[in-house]
Amino acid sequence: MVSAIFILAIGLGAAFLLGLLRDTWRGLAYALTLAALAAMSWIAGSWLVALAGGLGPVEIRTAGFAPPFAIALRMGLPEAALSLLISLTGLLSAVYMRGTLMRLGRRAMAVLLIAVMALVGIVLTRDAFNLFVFLELTVIATGGLVLLSADPRALGAGFKYLVVAQVISILLLVGVIFAYHATGSLNIDDMAAANLVTLKGGAIAFFLMFVAVVAELKPFPANGWALDIYESAHPAFSAILSAALSAAALIAADKMLSIGGPEWLPVASSLGLVSFLGANILALAQDNDRRLLGYSSIGQVGLVLVVLGQRDILGASTPFIAGGLLLAHAVAKAGFYWLSGLVQGRSLMDWTALRGHPVLIFAFVTFVALLLGLPPFPGFYAKWGLVHALAADGRYLVLGLILLGSLIESGYLMRWFGYIIKRPQVDLPPLPSLSKRAVVLTAVAAGWALGWIWGEISGYPNLLLSIPLLFALGFLFIEWLPAWVKNLVAIAGLGAWFWYTFPGYDPLHLIYAAIILVGGAVILVASFDAKGRRVGFYPPAMLMYAGLSMLILAQDSFAFFAAWEYLTIGSYFLILRGKKSEPHALSYILFSLGGAFAILAGLALGAQGVLPFDVADLAKAPARLAPWIFALLAIGFMTKTAAIGLHIWLPGAHAEAETDVSPMVSGILLKAGLFGLTLLLMIMGKQSLYGIELTYVMLWIGALSALVGNLLAAFQEDAKRLLAYSSIGQMGYALFGLAMMNHLGWLMALMFVINHYIYKSMLFLSVGGVAKRTGTRDMYRMGGLITLMPLSFIAVLIGIIAVSGVPPLSGFGGRWIFYNAIMSSEYRLPMVLIFLSGPIAFLYLFRLIHTIFLGQLKDEHRKLKEAPLWLILPQMLYVAFLLGFAVVPGLALRHVDAYISEFFPAHALIWDDITITSTFGYWSPISIMVVVGCIFAVLFLWLLVLNHRAQKVKQFNIVYSAERPFRPETTHFAWNFFAPYRKALGFMTLPLVTRFWQAQTDLLHSTAQVSRRFYTGNGQTYAVHMLAFAVAVYLIWMGS
Amino acid sequence: MTLVTLAIATGFALVLIGLLGALTDRNILRMIVAFTIANTGVNLVLIGVGMLPGRTAPILDEAVSVAQAAARIVDPVPQALVLTAIVIGLGVTALMLAYALRLHQTRHSLDIRTFTELKW
Amino acid sequence: MIRTFFVVLLLLGLGAVFAGLMVGYTPDAELNATARYYADNTAADTGAANIVTAIIVTYRGLDTLGEVTVLFLTAAIVALVLAAGREKDPASRIAPPPAGELLTTGSRLLAPLILLLGVYVFANGHLTPGGGFQGGAILASAVLLLLLTDPLRHFGHRLISVVESLSGFIYVLIGVAGVVLAGGFLDNRILPLGDFGALLSAGAIPVIYTLIGLKVGAEFASMLVSLSETEEPR
Repeated sequence: MVSAIFILAIGLGAAFLLGLLRDTWRGLAYALTLAALAAMSWIAGSWLVALAGGLGPVEIRTAGFAPPFAIALRMGLPEAALSLLISLTGLLSAVYMRGTLMRLGRRAMAVLLIAVMALVGIVLTRDAFNLFVFLELTVIATGGLVLLSADPRALGAGFKYLVVAQVISILLLVGVIFAYHATGSLNIDDMAAANLVTLKGGAIAFFLMFVAVVAELKPFPANGWALDIYESAHPAFSAILSAALSAAALIAADKMLSIGGPEWLPVASSLGLVSFLGANILALAQDNDRRLLGYSSIGQVGLVLVVLGQRDILGASTPFIAGGLLLAHAVAKAGFYWLSGLVQGRSLMDWTALRGHPVLIFAFVTFVALLLGLPPFPGFYAKWGLVHALAADGRYLVLGLILLGSLIESGYLMRWFGYIIKRPQVDLPPLPSLSKRAVVLTAVAAGWALGWIWGEISGYPNLLLSIPLLFALGFLFIEWLPAWVKNLVAIAGLGAWFWYTFPGYDPLHLIYAAIILVGGAVILVASFDAKGRRVGFYPPAMLMYAGLSMLILAQDSFAFFAAWEYLTIGSYFLILRGKKSEPHALSYILFSLGGAFAILAGLALGAQGVLPFDVADLAKAPARLAPWIFALLAIGFMTKTAAIGLHIWLPGAHAEAETDVSPMVSGILLKAGLFGLTLLLMIMGKQSLYGIELTYVMLWIGALSALVGNLLAAFQEDAKRLLAYSSIGQMGYALFGLAMMNHLGWLMALMFVINHYIYKSMLFLSVGGVAKRTGTRDMYRMGGLITLMPLSFIAVLIGIIAVSGVPPLSGFGGRWIFYNAIMSSEYRLPMVLIFLSGPIAFLYLFRLIHTIFLGQLKDEHRKLKEAPLWLILPQMLYVAFLLGFAVVPGLALRHVDAYISEFFPAHALIWDDITITSTFGYWSPISIMVVVGCIFAVLFLWLLVLNHRAQKVKQFNIVYSAERPFRPETTHFAWNFFAPYRKALGFMTLPLVTRFWQAQTDLLHSTAQVSRRFYTGNGQTYAVHMLAFAVAVYLIWMGS
Repeated sequence: MTLVTLAIATGFALVLIGLLGALTDRNILRMIVAFTIANTGVNLVLIGVGMLPGRTAPILDEAVSVAQAAARIVDPVPQALVLTAIVIGLGVTALMLAYALRLHQTRHSLDIRTFTELKW
Repeated sequence: MIRTFFVVLLLLGLGAVFAGLMVGYTPDAELNATARYYADNTAADTGAANIVTAIIVTYRGLDTLGEVTVLFLTAAIVALVLAAGREKDPASRIAPPPAGELLTTGSRLLAPLILLLGVYVFANGHLTPGGGFQGGAILASAVLLLLLTDPLRHFGHRLISVVESLSGFIYVLIGVAGVVLAGGFLDNRILPLGDFGALLSAGAIPVIYTLIGLKVGAEFASMLVSLSETEEPR
């Protein structure tokens, strides 16, 4: 193998050789540059392969003498990986910058080569002064490469950078010489071995070196100079700066920490945390894409610094975790910057240009996922390991702050993605350059490859290789096919997976599996209605289904959490597809990720560092932590079920989603939360925190959700919003049932799981069909559609009978079990609330029939047709199933009943052939059906007789009787239908929760807006910041 | 105070004076000069740290034989380092001067406050 | 004003850090292990009489290569920066008033001597104080003198650039030869160490220092020429 010194020698030699070429031979010079960078990458790559294959780290002596007398370099696994990263980034950026480099000539190419060489030098060297030399080379090369930019402001940015770099180099040089004086060596390993910080004068010398190297990480808040460069430099150079320079600076910081020893680890952690949080908060207020990415870079680098500072507990897994975060950041950020060069405007909105370019959108999504540490990318494995180590060691503050910072980061990145997909498209198409696009795609490929590698070395089954995920990803490659073909494939896939996994389910899991896979397939029938190719629908939809199906199969916590993330991401993209869903999708993903972080923290607390961790072992969690684990997990799952307080994302997200997406995210996705709660309660049982029983709290939350959800549903004008709010109420019922922690409560909850899927899917489809035909979702704009859309009417009628729990449909079964359950428990007060919310459900359900299908037909609706066949078809399936389920509920439930008896033996039901008996009475579905049928027939006949002499009233006779009203809808009888109730109960519908969360985000945003003024743009001020940073670190260190 | 500590103290004083100038004077040329002063201070510190009182330059000749060298010469390492430091300082200074020239050409100003179009 | 006060306060803080260093500093009575090694073994290891030179060129040769690169980089960037600002072609530049007789004659007389001194300084770098950087700077001062005499004098950019690049490239090649033929990158023992104290001794050190001298001279010259060709905006 070629000695690693050749990476440096080739870079330098080629740079010098460039000077020999005539200035006009630019093509040759460019070819030489590329060849040199490729050779450097190849050497680094060959070392990486060899070191990964088990070769130990190799020391490279220069001049033939041992250190510390001569400079030594070291090539180990981290060094090889980062050298490869740096030289590849350089190579790709050189390809990307072809035009600029050819214009500026060989000098610019030489500067680029030297920059890459110097960065590799920083990585390899083990000598403190040599580190200084390479850092200075980097500084000067940066000063040169900034000028590659076409932006005239880059000149000022470069100068500011040089000013700050001068301050840094003074600190570093003074530190190095005193460290040499204290230890008698310039070798970093010698300094570490001599325990520099304990020597006389050594501590301050170390402090100076450390603070100077950390300054190269552009720590928040002393980083105005770096942001100006990020904003104004050529994007390909910003890519080098963000990916390669950050990597080099981090490894330099790591070398410093190896000298500083354990005493300095907390300092590094704190500086990293401040950077991570601060930079991410400030990024919230940014509108310039490159500056925003700069902030994000600083935040990510801060996070890696935290990891380096936690090495006392991470131990041997430090390189895996730090490397995962760092490489994911580097690939993503380089990719982002390269992508930004294709976008012609600098505002975030200008990125709407990417719309209509699925490949570029996919690239963007990949980079976001890499940055946020979503599965299956390396950051996911890294955060998983990090959080577990922190939780096991009790470093809760660090853990909490990291999760908070990650959430803020996902806030602005996801918001940006929402802009791209939803905001009005700008008229500046992305640059057509093929080579630049190829560079971006290389980054995408590298991201996925890293995901695979991290999966291989993680010790877990590789996330990327799970069949459901591969199936979902496969849709990316058949996006060019018409939608109906893809739909067929999707349905077949769900069915096949159900058939394949069927033998492994116990009754409880089978219910969920059937809803997800079979139920999902039924909803997909409605998707045949879509025309064209429907690009961007199937990959996320199938990702969501993959996540759901993996969730119920998951045994260990890792698989569980990965599945949870998949379904969250997939559903986010699905929801975002709705016309006006941008803000709702954003709040959905933020609540979901927040919930996911709660789950992650809960699992990590439960695992106590023991990995892999079987979810069932949560039962063995130490008593001290168990209630906290329970609370965290419950909050996480309740975010998904939209329990009151965490519900504000749901109405918009469900209502604005596409017609066939609403039933997916409502009928199926909400069940993921219930599944989690089921598991949690089954495993951990009742927990009390400070004397309060947590299941009792959940009971209250469930009851309040039911009440408020129903109440809010009653006051909606928009039919889909009504259904969405009703889901909050329904989930409240289910939560209540589970929290009762007895046999009947659970049976009822599971009954709700099935019922809610059926009627909510059905209602969303029928209401969606009506909305599609009428062009509105406001109910008062509809009316009298019964004759035009009879099938939709039947579906809604059956649906609301089922929801409201009146006989004879299965909803009544649910209620019956429910009342039995309540009778058998002692929670009287929340019970009253639950009872109260029952009638309220009637109020809103009644409106669906009354306002949409009955009453006068609107003039503009006279020519409407029935909803499309493909929407009607699944509804009819549901109708049939509801009727069947009403007659023989035992089909599914008796197995579940038997299963639940294992956990709650008391109060089991007795299943005879057609009657079900409980302690309080019996329920015979068939006789009820007969009785209700008779009553209905009698009443219907009586109505016919009475209606015989009814006089028909013409429409609009009120409206035209006086002047034209300012807001015509106010005169419609169905508008504000429940005004009296609103007067009485309106206080309960005040958007207090929305206001609370709004206040939180406003607070963050105004913090960001105020603190960004700190970066005045004056280079001198930035230098003062840097000095103040150093002095502050010194004072804090002295103080501790 | 020995010569060595005096040299180091002077070096530090130069660093502080240089930084004071660089951080308060708004003219970028004066900032560059101030940084040069600070760099000189650092170099002085470097040399000072390598000084051993009463010894001679680390060159082996008739006056200092190889056998006596260890007892008679000063520490040669800082002297080697300072050369590198000087050259690097020179490089950065030249670069800053070139920048200053270009900034003046494009903006007709040498006031650091002029170049704040990138901020926040 | 507040700003100055704040800066002074910060510098006081930095001063406190420096004071801490001073307090913790006691001059060594003996050489430390590293320096001691150099004192005892330089002659045998490298054959150089000037220990500092041995450290610069051989022991810490990588630093020095970096140092040379810094100059190369700076020269390249200065040329880039200034090239971007150069608009008019050189022919149209307004001639400055002619230099005085004294300067013209003096520089004609001195320039060759200065060049000679420069060569002497870097060729003897391994024996006496001096070396490539010093010698190179002296070479460049001859160029400066000539430029002062006639600012419009046209220097061969091409020649400067070839000298600069070729010497740099050969420097790297010598370094690589160290890996192949001797103990490591930039090992000077690829050539015989020769007689201690002779001009042609110390292995590759004189060669390297000559290259550095030429390179540094060329780089400084190139920076000076770039700067002199820059127009003041009218």
